[in-house]
Amino acid sequence: MGSSLRQSLLFAWVLAASGLLIIYTKIVQLDYPVFPDTERTIWDFETYLEFDANNEPARLEVFIPTAKNERNILEEEFYNGAFGLSLTTEEGLANRKAVWTHRFPDNKKVLRYRAQIVGENRRSDFGENARFERRGPIGPIADPVKRQALQVWQGRLNRLTADDRSYALMALSDLFAGQLSDEVQSLLPDLPEPVNRLALAAEVLSSQGIQARVANGVYLTEARRRAEIQHWLEYRADGRDFRYFVDDEPPSFFPIWYGTDRLVDARGVRGLDAQIALRSGSRLAQELAQQTGGSGQPSPLVNFGFQELPLTTQLVYKVLVTIPIGITLLVFLRQFVGISTLGTFMPVLIGISFRETALLNGIILFTVLVGLGLMMRVYLEKLQLLLVPRLAVVLIFIVICMSAITLLMNESNRSIGLSVSLFPMVILTMTIERMSIVWEEYSGTEALKQGAGSLVVASICYLVMTNNLVEHIMFTFPETLFILMAICLLMGRYTGLRLSEIWRFRHMAQQKQSA
Amino acid sequence: MKSGVSAIWRSKNKVLKTFQFLRKTGIIGLNERNVKYVSEFNPRRLHRLVNNKIETKALALRAHIPVPALLGTIESGRDIGNLAKIVEGATGFVIKPAQGAQGNGILVIDGPVAGGWRLANGRRITKDRIRFHVNNIMSGMYSLGGQPDIAMVEYRVNFDPLFDDVSFKGVPDIRIIVLKGFAVAAMVRLPTADSDGKANLHKGGVGVGVDLPTGITTTAMQYDRPIDLHPDTGQSLSGIQIPNWDDVLLMAARAYDVTGLGYLGVDVVLDRDKGPLLLELNARPGISIQIANGAGLRTNLEAIAKRQDDKVLTAEKRIALSKEMFSEAQPSDSRDGDAAPVEADPEDSPPVAGEPEPPEPQELEPNEPDSTQVESGPNQDTGKIALKG
Repeated sequence: MGSSLRQSLLFAWVLAASGLLIIYTKIVQLDYPVFPDTERTIWDFETYLEFDANNEPARLEVFIPTAKNERNILEEEFYNGAFGLSLTTEEGLANRKAVWTHRFPDNKKVLRYRAQIVGENRRSDFGENARFERRGPIGPIADPVKRQALQVWQGRLNRLTADDRSYALMALSDLFAGQLSDEVQSLLPDLPEPVNRLALAAEVLSSQGIQARVANGVYLTEARRRAEIQHWLEYRADGRDFRYFVDDEPPSFFPIWYGTDRLVDARGVRGLDAQIALRSGSRLAQELAQQTGGSGQPSPLVNFGFQELPLTTQLVYKVLVTIPIGITLLVFLRQFVGISTLGTFMPVLIGISFRETALLNGIILFTVLVGLGLMMRVYLEKLQLLLVPRLAVVLIFIVICMSAITLLMNESNRSIGLSVSLFPMVILTMTIERMSIVWEEYSGTEALKQGAGSLVVASICYLVMTNNLVEHIMFTFPETLFILMAICLLMGRYTGLRLSEIWRFRHMAQQKQSA
Repeated sequence: MKSGVSAIWRSKNKVLKTFQFLRKTGIIGLNERNVKYVSEFNPRRLHRLVNNKIETKALALRAHIPVPALLGTIESGRDIGNLAKIVEGATGFVIKPAQGAQGNGILVIDGPVAGGWRLANGRRITKDRIRFHVNNIMSGMYSLGGQPDIAMVEYRVNFDPLFDDVSFKGVPDIRIIVLKGFAVAAMVRLPTADSDGKANLHKGGVGVGVDLPTGITTTAMQYDRPIDLHPDTGQSLSGIQIPNWDDVLLMAARAYDVTGLGYLGVDVVLDRDKGPLLLELNARPGISIQIANGAGLRTNLEAIAKRQDDKVLTAEKRIALSKEMFSEAQPSDSRDGDAAPVEADPEDSPPVAGEPEPPEPQELEPNEPDSTQVESGPNQDTGKIALKG
């Protein structure tokens, strides 16, 4: 006993120490980032066009990120369907367009542009050759009333400011802070908010000789299936680059095109749905660390990481390495807290499937499916089937329920409906079988208690496993796995009471204490 | 807000206090049972002997330990036809899975009625339904890990009337915890209306502590709470002398010799005619026995764990030693140097009058999964069976 305990402890300490040592080396010597750094995150960017074509010549012009800076676009792909694709670069502003054309398209069509991009932040400059050519909506003003208004406004700005920078700030404050004055109001071009104000700002700045442009793009804050297109102003005053955001400045953003045009210019199609999807992918910081690590003297650690794998494999491992975190948590909840669950690791598996459904949907779907399955199981009990065929019937029933839910949901909300198919149905079936046996042999309350316990553990595991910092640490420092293993080893030798046992023995303690 | 925080603070203190008290009292939890006793004294390869009740029975018979007779086994679909032949002439019988856990899947048949059989609880069961049940057993519905199983048909015990006053229908049995062949604690498990004739403590059965040297019942519990009277019959649970107590203890001690399992729960039933019979053995006996006895197991377990003479002493000698060592009505901690003395011994505990509150749902012990076994279910102190109505 003594020796097995000593061995466990030794093993645990060796594991933990080696894990910590590698992590320490990576952080201190190789400059791996400890915290996830959104500025240097690679994002999967996708422009997705879906439309009905009607056998007439179709032409879709879509702004795609400019290739001005190779640093910002790592890889791009086009999904053309049967369409012809040509790329054009606009004169003046540094815009790039994908032009998809087809003579006789029919039915529903999908076109996609995908790229891996790196966001910009307040410190990124516009680049030496940034082009600010004015494509303003105002132009030479013919309307004397407007010309008058512009002169009044410019006069005010000139009078109240000292240099380009303050001129720009004053103009922006006139446009965005509080009530618009009459003359500014009359100058607003006929464009959607806030592009109209930004366009006017660009116009008035340009007239003062301050280079300015309206930028259109996305904020890189969170993964979105349908990212909103954001607009901001970029201007160069007194030799420095500035951006003006209508709302709070996002930590990271990505411009797609400049000017006041719309994202898509489509002809000959109907029911166009254009969306931009964003997903945060691998961390560029690791690659940077890899390139710069040890500056010239390659360290074996550098070549031993997930960054070496192809991107798709990386994404798989990103999920995979967080599972041990969930497992460790589960061990803790079982050995120290004493939560009872259905099946040993089932909660973790359910937690992983929550990843696709998001938490609330996941819990609802899980409950609904298990509930339906239990009802089916109760009925099957009457038929006196053999065990394995009965499991099979329940499993098929679950698949039917999943299909039904997907089809029903497809009408209203696509994302929930599709995600249900990602639930592990074998796990669901086993859960139902287990739960019904517990129900029969013990009680309904016990079955519900274990079911609820499983859901609670699954939710906790999900929340921890999808935590940004946890994901980052596990992926950047897979050595953490050694530490987790050490923790599990130590927990395996815990002989103290569980929280639930304190509860269980509480009456005894009360009685004896009062005696 | 503030009161909420202080309430949490207070309850945290209470939990800590209870924790410290339980530790001092020598209460062991499942973690300690598993690490220090089950994995230490029960080699994995020996678990087979107690997991398969047919093997246990054969082993016991070879060592001349009396058991309820095995009438026959049903191993495949073809054998089901033999059921009628197997039970021919028997007034009652029991069908159970050879590798069942926690008393699941056990069917107690009282006798024949027109078109079928009468169950212990008085209901009728058709032959079809019995066949379905046997099929379920064979397909592994009740066995550990769900592997195919064998259904066994067994003699139905005629209970000693001793516990009639403190049992509600069903079957009382005696559980003895044995470490290295020394008895360390014992209790009687009594069925109640709540437990539906089964003596399973987690289903609401009553556990009554037994004084090891004398075989006289002491304190009792139901749903983890100390009680004094049987909840259904209202009879006092303490002071009942178990007959043939020395035989019962000896049987328990010898179970160690025949299985080699160092940490055992030995379940014994008292038959009216045949005396104590070994019902089954459990390599992971539960920990509720501590509540029944009003005392932790740690002191006794550690006293035995230190001993090296278990292999040289005979079962009789070990039992004599156990009685002597634990004769002081199990003062729970005075033996252990570092444990603080606790004044009360179980008999002195003030009676807690028939608790009016509804019973708390009992914490189940999660099954400690075998390394090879992924799925697990609740596993507790189990009075295995309702053998009779």
